Amino acid sequence: MKWTRSCVSLALIPLHKSLLYGTTGAAAYGLFFPLINTIDIAFAQGGQSFKFAWISDTHLYPKAVNKRFVEKATRAIQEVQAMNPPADFLIFGGDMAQLGDPVELQLGAELLKEITIKKVFIPGEHDWYLDMGATWNKMFGAAPWSFDYKGVRFVGLDTVSHAEDFWTSRKMSAKERMGNMATLDGTLGGAWAAVGAEQLKWLNSTLASWGKDKPVVIFSHNPLYEYFPPWNFWVRDWRGVHEILKPYSNVTNIHGHTHQVLYNEIGKLRSIGMLATSWPWPYAPEGVPILTRPMIRVDPGEPFDGVGWSIHTMDPTGHVENQYKMWRKEVFADAGVDSNAQDSHEVLSPRVADRI
Amino acid sequence: MANEKLRYPLITAGVGVLFFLAVDTEPAFAHKDKHTAEQLQAFEEVFMEQVKIGDLLFHGDPETQKRLNVNLSNTGTACAMCHPYTSDTHPHQFPKFQEQMNEFATLRNMINWCIEKPNEGEKIDPDGPAMKALEAYIYWSNRNSKLDPGRH
Ligand SMILES: [Fe+2]
Ligand SMILES: [Fe+2]
Repeated sequence: MKWTRSCVSLALIPLHKSLLYGTTGAAAYGLFFPLINTIDIAFAQGGQSFKFAWISDTHLYPKAVNKRFVEKATRAIQEVQAMNPPADFLIFGGDMAQLGDPVELQLGAELLKEITIKKVFIPGEHDWYLDMGATWNKMFGAAPWSFDYKGVRFVGLDTVSHAEDFWTSRKMSAKERMGNMATLDGTLGGAWAAVGAEQLKWLNSTLASWGKDKPVVIFSHNPLYEYFPPWNFWVRDWRGVHEILKPYSNVTNIHGHTHQVLYNEIGKLRSIGMLATSWPWPYAPEGVPILTRPMIRVDPGEPFDGVGWSIHTMDPTGHVENQYKMWRKEVFADAGVDSNAQDSHEVLSPRVADRI
Repeated sequence: MANEKLRYPLITAGVGVLFFLAVDTEPAFAHKDKHTAEQLQAFEEVFMEQVKIGDLLFHGDPETQKRLNVNLSNTGTACAMCHPYTSDTHPHQFPKFQEQMNEFATLRNMINWCIEKPNEGEKIDPDGPAMKALEAYIYWSNRNSKLDPGRH
């Protein structure tokens, strides 16, 4: 397998630079220079300022199996509840459970009870593939959904339910299917992350009634651009998403799944990657957006390092400001030696099964 | 692993037979002569079998752990959860001073540290079959990396 992305037609789609260069590009373009957002903030005044909180990727096992993940989820939950003034709502961004087990989802729901503000939910692949979302949908409601709040249209997508069926022909049990989908570098799931034709249509019509210059915030488990397909750090139909979003001048996508600090802009779409509470993923071998200021390399011996949650502040212009609540003093690396995003001597190969 | 011990003599014997057939008479040491394609393939197969076992261990496969009598994690976590494609294992940087351990360490030392600390599993024999397989998988996945020993 070669990671060089397939030749995308440049004439048709205005591609962000980050899609054309991998980590080598990132290195060459100076990941470690101070970065600023490049989209001009020139949105209409008159909106209201408010905050909302994000928690995702708690990856809970049953309590008896893993206490650390419970402790870390609990810490994030307590900190959200302690916000003063409180956030207006919490978005839970998926991967609540590790293996989609109803016991794990129950545990998550139980822990989240401590948060008394409004809560909205989108699923992750770890929540889905034991019973194809049955328990998740029953407990937390089905995505997609949308609501308007203080002049912003919020949208929650399901980017996880569209895996190609690899299990039926292999006569796999539900547990085996889940096990494969729960492995980031798994060999059977393929390019499972997608919005899907039906949901794209839904998104199009949901936004149609909204002013083109009014703020839109889209929550998704997977990033809505192409970062690193082998780990589903993308949705496979991201071009379709961007086609729909093109007329809108103020769209912010906030996503989970990547368990790391990420920032990207494509056209007028801003994209912000969230931390997990469970553990951080390393940056992928290529595709880290050049606008990302990489997170600091963390101590794997310290369970509370490199993880956390986020506070988002919507300012009156409709601009979302993200504040990572990482449980450490410094979040960003200033030099290559302090980040895993830039080891030019590391060249990784995909797994054996991927090569067959 | 029982059949691993059995297999190596078989391969050696196989190589011997090939050699014997090739030169017809004098027994000699195979390694002094040119290798046949079959020999090279046999060597490759031995290696790739270890890579695959290492891949299974690295991804937490319970059967393989049981068979090799190791317990790499007591928290449900597996190596690959923090190291997809063995990312960030940096075999090319060892041996080096390893900050977490506060000592000069080899890759095998580091593997055992990860098993013991983040995974809360049980340390494995540094020269045992599970360690060799893990090492094979990690090195194979990083085979195009550039040697850079001592680098932090
Ligand atoms: Fe996750
Ligand atoms: Fe995920």
